[in-house]
Amino acid sequence: MKKKLVGVVSGKGGVGKTSVTASLASLAKQDLDVEVISMDCDVDAPNLAIILPPDDQSKIEKKDIFATLKSEFLEEKCSNCKLCIEDHFCEFNALSWDEHNSIPKIDYLKCEGCGACKVLCPTHAFKIDAVKSGEIISFRCKKGFPLIYGKTQLGSTTSGKLVSDCKEYLKNIKEFNNTDLILIDGPPGIGCPVIATIANLDYVITICEPTPSGLHDLMRVIEVIQQFNIQFGVIVNKSDLQSPFQDNFNKYINDTGHRILGKIPFDLSIPKAMSYTKTVIDYAPDSKSSMAIKEIYQNLKHELWNNILS
Amino acid sequence: MKTKKPKIVCITGGKGGTGKTLCAVNIAIMFKNEGYNVLLIDGDVENPNTYLLLNGKLENKIEVPFFMPQILEDRCSKCGLCSQNCASHALLYIDDSIPILMSSLCSGCKLCYKICPENAINPDFKTIGWTYSTEISDLSLLIGELKPSEARSAGIVEKLIENLENDLQKEPNKFDIIIFDTAPGAHCDVELLIDKSDIVIPITEPTRFGKLDLGRIIELINLLKKDYKVIVNRSSLLGYKDQFLAELQEENIKVLGDIPMDSDIVDSYCIGKPLMDKENGFNNNGAGFIAFTHIYENLKKWLEFN
Repeated sequence: MKKKLVGVVSGKGGVGKTSVTASLASLAKQDLDVEVISMDCDVDAPNLAIILPPDDQSKIEKKDIFATLKSEFLEEKCSNCKLCIEDHFCEFNALSWDEHNSIPKIDYLKCEGCGACKVLCPTHAFKIDAVKSGEIISFRCKKGFPLIYGKTQLGSTTSGKLVSDCKEYLKNIKEFNNTDLILIDGPPGIGCPVIATIANLDYVITICEPTPSGLHDLMRVIEVIQQFNIQFGVIVNKSDLQSPFQDNFNKYINDTGHRILGKIPFDLSIPKAMSYTKTVIDYAPDSKSSMAIKEIYQNLKHELWNNILS
Repeated sequence: MKTKKPKIVCITGGKGGTGKTLCAVNIAIMFKNEGYNVLLIDGDVENPNTYLLLNGKLENKIEVPFFMPQILEDRCSKCGLCSQNCASHALLYIDDSIPILMSSLCSGCKLCYKICPENAINPDFKTIGWTYSTEISDLSLLIGELKPSEARSAGIVEKLIENLENDLQKEPNKFDIIIFDTAPGAHCDVELLIDKSDIVIPITEPTRFGKLDLGRIIELINLLKKDYKVIVNRSSLLGYKDQFLAELQEENIKVLGDIPMDSDIVDSYCIGKPLMDKENGFNNNGAGFIAFTHIYENLKKWLEFN
């Protein structure tokens, strides 16, 4: 089968990306036709490993990533000319003047490592260093397939870059060549890390819930997915929510004709499963949510491999 | 009742979907109910939702421009200096040809513009999003929106902060309280708003996901040296709750209040009428209503508003 990279995203947070990703990966593992790798690219708040914990704690691989650039001030080279402030070297307002010592100060969090100060300073009193932007962790999960995830170093301001690094890392693990399906749990939103997640994917699953915010955020994430020209399908979570907004939501779905992969009814089995660190299909295989996710898995397979167009 | 300098309260959470916007809107409404002048700033610029919960419209749209180099081909000497010094690799240079701009990678540092020996780079702008300012139900609302497919969300958040600072400079006493609603996660957009605030309220839920992400956001709050207390939403969710609360206590994490699951909350959310607005006529004895009232009293004490 042709290898497929599939991302699970949502405009709005907390709509079930991780629960669904973990369940779909488990179903793929049970499926004899498919070899699967799972990834968590929600590098700000990676949670997939909670439901898919490692099989052997001693075999967790960690790699530090140094992709963030930061400026460092070299006081011995400074001629105290204050040009860096007067000529506004830094567009990110990371430079301020320390009146007491007559030297510039760098606000580490604001610094984007662009190197403008380094290039523009007449006495070369700044240098740029790579600092730790996060780490990539990988292991074989208890279910027997590989899990890779990234975790940002707080304050390093480079979520999108770390996502791209995770996707590169994936290609170098030994299981990659024989894998059919790579399932990626994505970040919420539509910004930099989301764009980095969905770039070059074969398919995107977008999860939403039938509320005004849910619809608003769904429309925005679809706009981004369409810009990248990637095929996508929608999962409606909490689909039976007693909400006066259901009609508006259904009208949007019907009018746009977006592909619906399935609807998952509200079911307390999902948070319960999570509290036992299990996927819902393991914890409550006959629950209504598990049945819905199994149907979604079949629909996804059809979308990925049986669709004549692809 | 007037306080001198407005207090800035930042509602955040780490994890998505824990109820940040719900809490930000209802806390803003409760201050309004008592006659305070409230400014609510929606800093979840990837997906601003506050106005939906208030059933309001986006008004006074202003474009947020972002630097974009424009290469003046007739001036360019094809030396490649701009490309060599571009840390974000947004200028692609092939020997003896005019550099090609990949605008999505540009960080906006303007270094190319500043160093070009031929003055062949013109500081042009593109729109990366918009800000809106509006009044809904006697609340002042300032909203940022990232244009879909643009990546530099922090540029919009910076614009919101700049607008706020300008406002406060003109009229320092206009507001009694300012409430920020942030994006999920712990990235630069969230960091900028936490840094600007007096106190922080992370919204969490008693699940393992909630706990892990709460730990991350608290780490960031500590890094920025801010005082915080958490709100536990969906507190009637059992299973992990007891362990969750025990862990909070053990780690000395203070709780401002908790909100049980309540159908009034879902209804108010879906019709865009905030639960705590007196005019909306929700049941004063509902579990959600009582919980928010309790949170409000605790928050006022914390802010020394009484």
